[in-house]
Amino acid sequence: MTGMDSLFLIFAVITLISAFLVVTTKNLFHAALWLIMTLFGVAAIYVLLNAFYLAVIQVIVYIGAIAILMIFAIMLTQRVMNPSGRIFNKNWIIAALLGAFMFIGLVIISMQTGASKTTLPQISGQLDTVSELGQALVSPNAYVIPFEVASVLLLAALIGAIFVSRKR
Amino acid sequence: MIPTTYYIVLSALLFTIGALGVLIRRNAIIIFMAIELMLNAANLAFVAFTRMYGIIDGQVFVFFVMTVAAAEVAVGLALIVAIFRTKHNIDIDQLNNLKG
Amino acid sequence: MFGSINTSMILAILPEIMLFILAGFVFVFDLVWDDSQRRNLGWISAGGFSLIIMISLMLGTPGSDSGLVWGGMLRHDWLGFAFKMLFLFGATITALFAMDVEDLGKKGEFYLLLIFSTLGMTLMASSSNLIMLYLSIEATSLPLYILAGFFKDDDKSTEAGFKYFLFGAMASAIMLYGFSLLYGFSGTTDLDAIAGVIKAGGMNPVLLVGTLLMILVGFGFKISAVPFHFWAPDVYEGAPTVVAGFLSTASKAAGFTVLIRVLLTSYAPASDTWMMVLAIISTLTMTLGNTLALAQKNIKRLLAYSSIAHAGYILIGVVAISELGITGSIFYIIVYLITNLAAFGIVSVVGRITGSDEISAYDGLSRRSPWLGLAMLVVFLSLAGMPPFGGFIVKVLVLASAVKAKLFWLAFVGILNSIIGLYYYLIVLKHVYLYRSENEQVEIPVTRPYAIGLIVLTIGIILLGVVISPWFNVSTIAAKVLF
Repeated sequence: MTGMDSLFLIFAVITLISAFLVVTTKNLFHAALWLIMTLFGVAAIYVLLNAFYLAVIQVIVYIGAIAILMIFAIMLTQRVMNPSGRIFNKNWIIAALLGAFMFIGLVIISMQTGASKTTLPQISGQLDTVSELGQALVSPNAYVIPFEVASVLLLAALIGAIFVSRKR
Repeated sequence: MIPTTYYIVLSALLFTIGALGVLIRRNAIIIFMAIELMLNAANLAFVAFTRMYGIIDGQVFVFFVMTVAAAEVAVGLALIVAIFRTKHNIDIDQLNNLKG
Repeated sequence: MFGSINTSMILAILPEIMLFILAGFVFVFDLVWDDSQRRNLGWISAGGFSLIIMISLMLGTPGSDSGLVWGGMLRHDWLGFAFKMLFLFGATITALFAMDVEDLGKKGEFYLLLIFSTLGMTLMASSSNLIMLYLSIEATSLPLYILAGFFKDDDKSTEAGFKYFLFGAMASAIMLYGFSLLYGFSGTTDLDAIAGVIKAGGMNPVLLVGTLLMILVGFGFKISAVPFHFWAPDVYEGAPTVVAGFLSTASKAAGFTVLIRVLLTSYAPASDTWMMVLAIISTLTMTLGNTLALAQKNIKRLLAYSSIAHAGYILIGVVAISELGITGSIFYIIVYLITNLAAFGIVSVVGRITGSDEISAYDGLSRRSPWLGLAMLVVFLSLAGMPPFGGFIVKVLVLASAVKAKLFWLAFVGILNSIIGLYYYLIVLKHVYLYRSENEQVEIPVTRPYAIGLIVLTIGIILLGVVISPWFNVSTIAAKVLF
């Protein structure tokens, strides 16, 4: 197995184990930390996939902003670090069955990837992704409208979030 | 070279773990974290497919999904804080003022 | 590499640009005015929306040069344009109705979020690319989550907002994963190109059905079809009534727009595959909506289940996959929007005065306020599908398209459900007209913006049922785009 392959294996395992722990830990704060670990794992996999810019953005936005915001929310909404017994909600058996079904379905679907186009172009790292991404985002022939809509969306979220969480 | 299928299976596993988290846990913030896992799984699939095809569209999509995820987190956590203020509890089994 | 921006591209997004400018105006005036004048923001919003409708109709209608603009992101055609005007109309009426609701009408944030959500909807109507689709769906939904939870001190409202957010975020995450697989297996994010790939057999059936089901989770959530309907009764009950009206009409119509577009553009070559799935969803939706509405004592929940049932009727038209079917569905959406907005509007004012949303609060409404009682009569009879109101002709159209497509069983289920529906609508009218209550002499004051809104809607319901051809023609032109 080449170096890249073993790297992939390591990071995949880290990501999956951390994700599993996020969903099963009792302590909220620990769950947040495992989430950060999962997000790091995903960022590492982005690097393996030659998406360097996205890996950096993943760390800055997801970990640096979103996960931190979650930690804030945990701090704001926990009165006492209460191990209040059950962590699974009342429908957990049905939910687990549903999850199992979903997983089987998804694996079947994913297996189809191999069928059609496995000719992976040998990306030698000469692809200047950031520049291409930048041009795509502001070119009227490409993604400028979604770009502007994203700005409006952020403004709306900002106004809404401040309004709802402000003290009278 | 790792075939794309492995990445997709990884993303499927991540997605399922996230979905399980949403369906099984009681605390609203954990449910929200699980939703973030699902979004990350979709992002992973996008990036893997982008490398497969060599066109930039998938990465642009991921860029926008991250933006939306950030906005969603802001709104979601604001709503969670608002609920906590009125009920002092964010356990979803206890959210039953609206019957059903 | 960089294209240039020409006039036709600007005209294609004229409504969106104007909405943004309107948001700017509302922003500035909200900062400058003080509390007593803030109510006028409602006039500005409603007036702004109407102005946008008029200017768009004059300058921005899709002509023979319609097609993909902005690099394939948007499609400027009559389907999108007709729905855009519909959403703007819905927003106008909502702004008018909300003006005198306390804690709602004086808040600039309400109008701003309304404008932003409408902006998202107009973009949803003309999206022609997966990225644009996802972004516009989120841009519509995020303000709506906040709007549902707008009464931050009210238990029910915050819970409604939170539940809406949770279910919505999950549905949209599943939909996004479906988008990612769709992109992955077709190599493109453009809706038409995906259709090309499917037609050429580039996608095997497992993938097709799998991605379609995941995408339907997201769309089904927005139109509250079974089994993604369970958020609707709780959210409509808890949210401010005016917001519930907007949610149940404009947001649902936006969901239908994208559903119709994606199913009949991208998945069109595979229509045999999804027709049965959608027919089953339609049947379940109609039946569940109608049967559960029978047992409701709270009028908002009753209207919620009623709107779930109506989503099922609209789906019949989509299942027929014919020009008549889509025409019927589009016409139905137009009538449904006007009727349901009026229904929630009446509930809003009666609920505010009597303080209760139970059906028993409507006893003797016809004596307290004859005009409101009359409006309620028109609205509920139209919802039930009685002539000469709009609700009748669209039900006929939709059922006719099912018959024409040889789906006799579906038409039969539709008729059966309409009969069940008739029952609970008539029960409410019985309360309004036949029962008496002690507060009969207490008047229900109705303010000017509210009256304007309700009168426009009621006349609209009658007009749509009687003067059919202009609306029918618009729906036909819109539907022709897809075939």
